[in-house]
Amino acid sequence: MKVSFNELQSLSWKAFIGLGFSDGQASDAADMLCWMESFGLDGVKTLKEALEQYSLEHPYSPPDILYKDTDITVLDAHNVSVLACSHLPLELAFTQARARGFSVLKIRRCRQRQLVMGYLARLANRGMNVTAFWRNSQTPLTEQVIGFRASSTVPSIRIYAVSELPDENKDNTGITVVMANHVDLLPTMRSEYEYDLLARHDESDLLEVRSKTERDGITVDTALWAQLQGLAKLTLVASTSSSRLGAGPAD
Amino acid sequence: MELPRLGAFSSSRLSFARSLIRKMGRQRWQVTQTRFDLDANGYGEVIYRIQTPQARYHVVIFSRYLDDANRSDRVIAEAWDLTFGLVEGDVEDELMASLSENVPLQEAGRQHSNLLVISRANRSMRNFSSFIEQLSQGQQPCESLLKTAGYLYRTTAVYGNGKFGIADFARLRQNPDFRQPFSAQMTAVYVLRQFSIDQVEHIARQRSSSAVPLSDELKRYVGIGNSTGLGMAPFLINHPLLINQWVHMRETALSLTKQEVADEHSQAQLLALMRRAIQSLQECDIEDADQRAKNVDVVNELSMATAWLDQVSPESDLWLQLTDWAEAAFTVETQELINTLLIELYPDHADALEDYMAAEESLDLIPDMPLIQLKQLIETHMDWALQVDLTAPDERFWFWYRSIEKEEPRLGVRGLDEGEEKELSIAIGPRIQRVHANLDKHLEDDPTALTIDFLMANPRDSDIIRRIQTMAVSAYGEIRANLWHRDMKPMHLLRTKLSFLGAQRFDPKGERWVRVTFFQGAPLISELNAEPVDLVDFDDWSFALAPEHTGSQAAS
Repeated sequence: MKVSFNELQSLSWKAFIGLGFSDGQASDAADMLCWMESFGLDGVKTLKEALEQYSLEHPYSPPDILYKDTDITVLDAHNVSVLACSHLPLELAFTQARARGFSVLKIRRCRQRQLVMGYLARLANRGMNVTAFWRNSQTPLTEQVIGFRASSTVPSIRIYAVSELPDENKDNTGITVVMANHVDLLPTMRSEYEYDLLARHDESDLLEVRSKTERDGITVDTALWAQLQGLAKLTLVASTSSSRLGAGPAD
Repeated sequence: MELPRLGAFSSSRLSFARSLIRKMGRQRWQVTQTRFDLDANGYGEVIYRIQTPQARYHVVIFSRYLDDANRSDRVIAEAWDLTFGLVEGDVEDELMASLSENVPLQEAGRQHSNLLVISRANRSMRNFSSFIEQLSQGQQPCESLLKTAGYLYRTTAVYGNGKFGIADFARLRQNPDFRQPFSAQMTAVYVLRQFSIDQVEHIARQRSSSAVPLSDELKRYVGIGNSTGLGMAPFLINHPLLINQWVHMRETALSLTKQEVADEHSQAQLLALMRRAIQSLQECDIEDADQRAKNVDVVNELSMATAWLDQVSPESDLWLQLTDWAEAAFTVETQELINTLLIELYPDHADALEDYMAAEESLDLIPDMPLIQLKQLIETHMDWALQVDLTAPDERFWFWYRSIEKEEPRLGVRGLDEGEEKELSIAIGPRIQRVHANLDKHLEDDPTALTIDFLMANPRDSDIIRRIQTMAVSAYGEIRANLWHRDMKPMHLLRTKLSFLGAQRFDPKGERWVRVTFFQGAPLISELNAEPVDLVDFDDWSFALAPEHTGSQAAS
C-alpha cells in the first residue's frame, strides 16, 4: 500500500512509543526511518527486520561504555537496533569532534546499522564531516561506507565486497563512525586489499530518488503497516461514556 | 506569550483566509463549476475547477443523505452531510471512482495522493431549511439567520499534509500556489462556501418554479462554519517554531504600524474600521454567555476609544497613545482587536510579511552547551515554568491523552480517570521544571558538565532539552501556561490557531469546543472571476456587516 511521509512519520513515532521509546528517542527513530525512505534506501524494510528480530525491545537499556576518552568511545549495544541506541552516543562523538577536531565512535553488537544514516545527516547538517563504516557477514563479506560532507544532508554511499581479509577481522555487527570538524572524510576507494565495488550512490543520484519519493509517496507492506498500527494502539486509552466527556460535552 | 492573550487574538490581514483572497484576486484565479450532478434533494456530486497562473486544481464534493441522528461535529463521527477534497490536476474517471469510494469515508478511507486536502461538513439545519423554504417561495431569507450562525455548512476537520494518504505538505513547498501554510485548506473551504450557495439555490429551484436566487448581499454574508475541539490543541504544542513565526510576523506588523506617523487620513480610516468592528460584534448573536459578555466589554471599550479618536488631533505618536491606553485600561480582547485594526492601516507592512509565515519545525540539540548555560537559559527565559508549585493539586489537575476512538485528544482528571500512564507530553512547563531540578543535581556533582553528559545519564530528556535550547531564544513559540492546571482553558489554544487561519465570530461551546465562521463577507467567486480591478476594495472584507433587512421571516 502507498502511504505519505507524514503518515509514516506519525505512525512509526506512535509505534515506537508503544514499544517503550521515550518521546525524543521515538521522534529520532521515526526521523531516521523516514530519512532512509526518502532516499529509497529501504528504511521500512529494515524496520520490519528490526521488529522480527526483536531488536527494538528494551529501548531504555543504554549501551555499556567499554572505553571512553576525550577522542574515542567504544560501546556495546547488546544487539539492539541503532534506532534505539545510537542517537546520544552520536551526539557524544559530535561533541568530542567539535572540541578536539576529530572523534571516533565504535558501537559493537548493534542491529540495522544502515538506519544510522538519518541521524548522521542531522549531524553533518550542523557542519560536521561524518563517515560511517560497517561490515556485513555474508559471502563474500561486504563493507559499506557512508560519507557526509559538512553541511550536506545527502551522503555518498559505497558498498563493496572484500575477498582478502586482515587477520583481526572477527566481529561484523559493529559500526564505526568518524567525525572531523575540518577534514573532508568522503569515502575513497583506496586499499591494499582486494575489493569489488558492488554499489555506489552519489549525492546527485540520491537527490533524484528523493524528488520521486516525495512526489509518489512510499510503498509499505500491508502486514507491517498493520503491525505498526497495533503498536501505536498501545499508546491509546480505552474509551468510555465518561471519557467521551473529556473532549467536551456532546454536540 | 501568555495563554489568555493568545486566546484573545482576532483574525487579521495576515490570517491565511485573508492572504488567500488577496492572492486569488491579484493573480486572477478563476473558479468554474465543471460538474453539477445533484438530485432534487441536493444529493450527488459537484466539481469546481480552480485555474491559477501556475496550475489547475479541482474541488470535488460528495453530498449524501445523512440521518439526523448521525449528525455530529465530533471527530468520532463516521458520516457527514457532505465530504470534499481539493485535487491537484485533472479528475479523470479512474481518479473520480477512487475519490467517490474513499473521500466519503474520510479517516477510514485510503485517500489518493493527488488530493491536497480532504474535509467534511454538516449542515446548519435551521439555516439550510429556512433558506430553501424562503427561496422556493420567491423570497429572500432573513439576514438575521446568518447573525446567529453565519453559514449553511460547518466543517468539522480539514485535513492536509499527508493525512490518510493525501499529498505531503513537502510536495507543496515548491508550489507557488499553496506553499503558504494552510492555503490549500483555505482554498477548499472557500470553494465549499460557493457550493453551499449553489446547492440551496438548486434545491429551491427543484421545489418551485417561482424560486429566486439568493441576493448578492446575502451571498456575501454567507460564510462557512467550523466546529473545532481539543484535537487542535496538540498542534499548537507540537509546532512551536511555526507558532513563534506566526506571532512574530503579527507583532512585527504591529510594531511597524506603531512607528508610523498618524495623519488625518489614517485616523479616519481607523475610526471607520473601529465602527465597523463594533457593528459587526453587535450583530453577532453569540450563544455562549461568557463570550457574549466579553463581546459587550469589547464593544464598550472600543466605543470609548472611538469617541476619543474622533476628538483628538493626529499627533505623531497617536497609535502609541492608543495602544498604551488600551494596555492600561482595556480587556486583553479589546487590546488585541485594536492591534488587529491598526495592522489594517498600513497594508504594505503586513502584506510584505505574508510570505514569511512558514517555518521548518526542527528542534535541534546543542550537545556541547555547558550544563550551567542550559540552567541559565531556563531560569532566564522559562522562569514561568519554574514558578508553578507542582505539588499543589490544582496545578496538576488535568492530564492529556488520546482515546482509542479515532485518536481523539481528551482531558482526564489525574488520579481519577484512566489513562494517566499514557499521558501525552502536551504540558511543557512541568517537564521544564523537572529537567531543571535534575540538572541542578547533576551540576552539584559535576559543575563543568556539558549537556551531553547530562543526557547520557538521563536519556529520556533529550526531546525536552533540545526544545528548551531551541525555544529559549524565540520570543513567542512557547506558550507560557501550565496546561495541567485546573483553570487552564483549552479554548485559548484553539482560538490562537483559528485566528491565524482567519476565523471570525468565536462562539465557544463550553471550554473544549468552539464554533467559528470563515469567509463571511468575503468576495464571491463571481467577483473573483470578474477579475477585480480595485484590489484594495476586493481585500476589504473583514468584520462583515449584515445586509439591510432582507427577509420577511425573522429567525425564531
